[in-house]
Amino acid sequence: MSDASATRVSGGASGGASGGDGAAKSGFVSAAKGGSTAPTLIRLSKVGKTYYRGKEPIEVLKDLDLEMPEGAFEALMGPSGSGKSTLLNLIAGLDSVSRGTIHISGVDLTAMSEGARAKWRSQNVGFIFQTYNLLPVLTAAENVELPLLLTPLSSAQRKQRALIALRVVGLEDRAGHRPDQLSGGQAQRVAIARAIVTDPKIIVADEPTGDLDRHSADQILELLVKLNTELKKTIVMVTHDPVAAERASIVRRLDKGSLT
Amino acid sequence: MIPISYNFRSLFVRKATTIATALGIALVVFVLASSQMLARGIKKTLGKSGSAQNGIVLRKGADTEMSSIIETPLVGLVLAAPGVRKDASGKPLGVGELVVVLALEKAGTSGQMSNVQLRGVSDDVLAFRKDVHLIAGRPAQPGSDEVILGKRLRGQFAGLQLGQHFEIKKNRQAQVVGIFEDDGSSHESEIWGDVELVRTSFGRDGIVSSVSVTLESESKFDAWKAALEHDKQLNLQAMRESAYYEKQSEGTAKLVSFMGGAIVFFFSIGATIGAMITMYAAVAHRRREVGTLRALGFSRGTVLSSFLLESVLLALLGGGLGAFASLGMGFVHFSMMNFASWSEISFSFDPAPDIVLRSLAIGGLMGVVGGILPALRASRTSPVAAMRD
Ligand SMILES: Nc1ncnc2c1ncn2[C@@H]1O[C@H](COP(=O)(O)OP(=O)(O)O)[C@@H](O)[C@H]1O
Ligand SMILES: [Mg+2]
Repeated sequence: MSDASATRVSGGASGGASGGDGAAKSGFVSAAKGGSTAPTLIRLSKVGKTYYRGKEPIEVLKDLDLEMPEGAFEALMGPSGSGKSTLLNLIAGLDSVSRGTIHISGVDLTAMSEGARAKWRSQNVGFIFQTYNLLPVLTAAENVELPLLLTPLSSAQRKQRALIALRVVGLEDRAGHRPDQLSGGQAQRVAIARAIVTDPKIIVADEPTGDLDRHSADQILELLVKLNTELKKTIVMVTHDPVAAERASIVRRLDKGSLT
Repeated sequence: MIPISYNFRSLFVRKATTIATALGIALVVFVLASSQMLARGIKKTLGKSGSAQNGIVLRKGADTEMSSIIETPLVGLVLAAPGVRKDASGKPLGVGELVVVLALEKAGTSGQMSNVQLRGVSDDVLAFRKDVHLIAGRPAQPGSDEVILGKRLRGQFAGLQLGQHFEIKKNRQAQVVGIFEDDGSSHESEIWGDVELVRTSFGRDGIVSSVSVTLESESKFDAWKAALEHDKQLNLQAMRESAYYEKQSEGTAKLVSFMGGAIVFFFSIGATIGAMITMYAAVAHRRREVGTLRALGFSRGTVLSSFLLESVLLALLGGGLGAFASLGMGFVHFSMMNFASWSEISFSFDPAPDIVLRSLAIGGLMGVVGGILPALRASRTSPVAAMRD
């Protein structure tokens, strides 16, 4: 924790940080590589993750330092088992670090309890999974509405918002369909609607096109680009697919737990 | 927080297991409700036979009319005791009755015998027992071999039908000339004949089993009892009629409750374990779903209550079915041995709402008990499970 504060650059609230979060949090401003001057949204300092298989430690992530600017479309590539998903889970607040700190718009994720992280996720992160992860017994609209149940919105407001999100992904006419009545590409688009319905800052996607044919995959990538450019979402996407990575603004490669 | 429709639909996705588990719980709730309804029905049937304003006198130490012997001269003494109500002509309201057990062949069997209570009554019994009404036929002629029949015995034994005969003792026939009802009391499972007929048929000259009286008021009971029991030579005991019949029903009602309770206890263990297995399977099957809910930000507590709710829903589904089925028992009458008198009495199930609701609640409780551990496991699902298998 102390080394985190050493690397911390404090400054006034950055102009790009979307409102709502308290002014107590400090923004990060980094002179990002590539000439971009966007403020840093995600900052990892000496982050390590070690799993234990029995007594034997497996170091999956080794002292990662990483900054991701606000508004970026980041692609994480690397061989299978290199720790991409592990890193994504840490950024998304799904898992806790073994060492180091993660700050997201100034908020220290690593200092949070699990309950606090759950609440933080519901307000700040949208999830897109390789296997879509729609609840099979709920309709498309109900699946999209699900994250809104954690907000104070009324039922009517929730339903209205869910329909708007479905419209964004072009599936308004499938609102009443169950996941098993949708194609893979459609299911993933519903999942994207679910990811954006709470209007989160960050979208994380773990191999979002991994289970899709080329055509559907391209549609999904098109949508992600649209979310990035039009809705200004910061996207962190893990992918194997070079075509997918090409759509990203920044590509990072991970190998054996280190960025190369 | 997580909509209840999610749980409902998830239950219906696993139709077969849901139905099997619900049926287990339905069975428990059914047995529980039915046995309680029967115990209540027994108490009601036997309790109805007595009023608090009536007193009954037995030989000291006798638990039942059957085991009580009182010499006829004492009947007058009981009737003359203070507090006994008198009719317009100044005659005390009371009767001495002789109760014996008669073995008769059950209807539709070839020679299967069972016991029936035969009550030897006085001429004015219908004036004394005002709730008793003839619903068919006519009263028995005093001093004859005619009897009237409680309506629940009708057709249950060979010869017990209006106009038919049965053997009251070897080579002596009694004829059924009337059928009576008594507001569902145990009298409806008795045969009533002239006290002399019973005396001569059973060789009980000069005795009765009990003396029943109507008191001027309920509050006169203590004085009347004291007057009779004061003289130890008489060797009599006096009770309120209601208390006497309640005591009669106690053993049988308790036995039914106990047997029902024992069955329910073992069945409910089985059904609760069934619910637990079903819910554990559901949790394992939906690991990725639960991980997704957790990733989206639903708390452990929310996941826990959702699965607990699902388990309770499952249990209430079964419980509702069992409770509904138990209501059907309200239409069932059935004969069983009353252990106080060793004769058959016809009972019905009393479908009291409180019994049904309580049984349903116990069904729901089984859902809680069976569901708590699986729900805890679900709540411990890591949100990372959404990403991995
Ligand atoms: N919960 C865990 N326990 C033990 N090892 C794990 C766990 N999760 C991941 N690992 C290991 O960490 C390494 C990186 O996994 P992952 O981040 O999923 O890689 P990638 O997504 O790049 O394929 C793998 O060797 C994997 O076996
Ligand atoms: Mg992976």
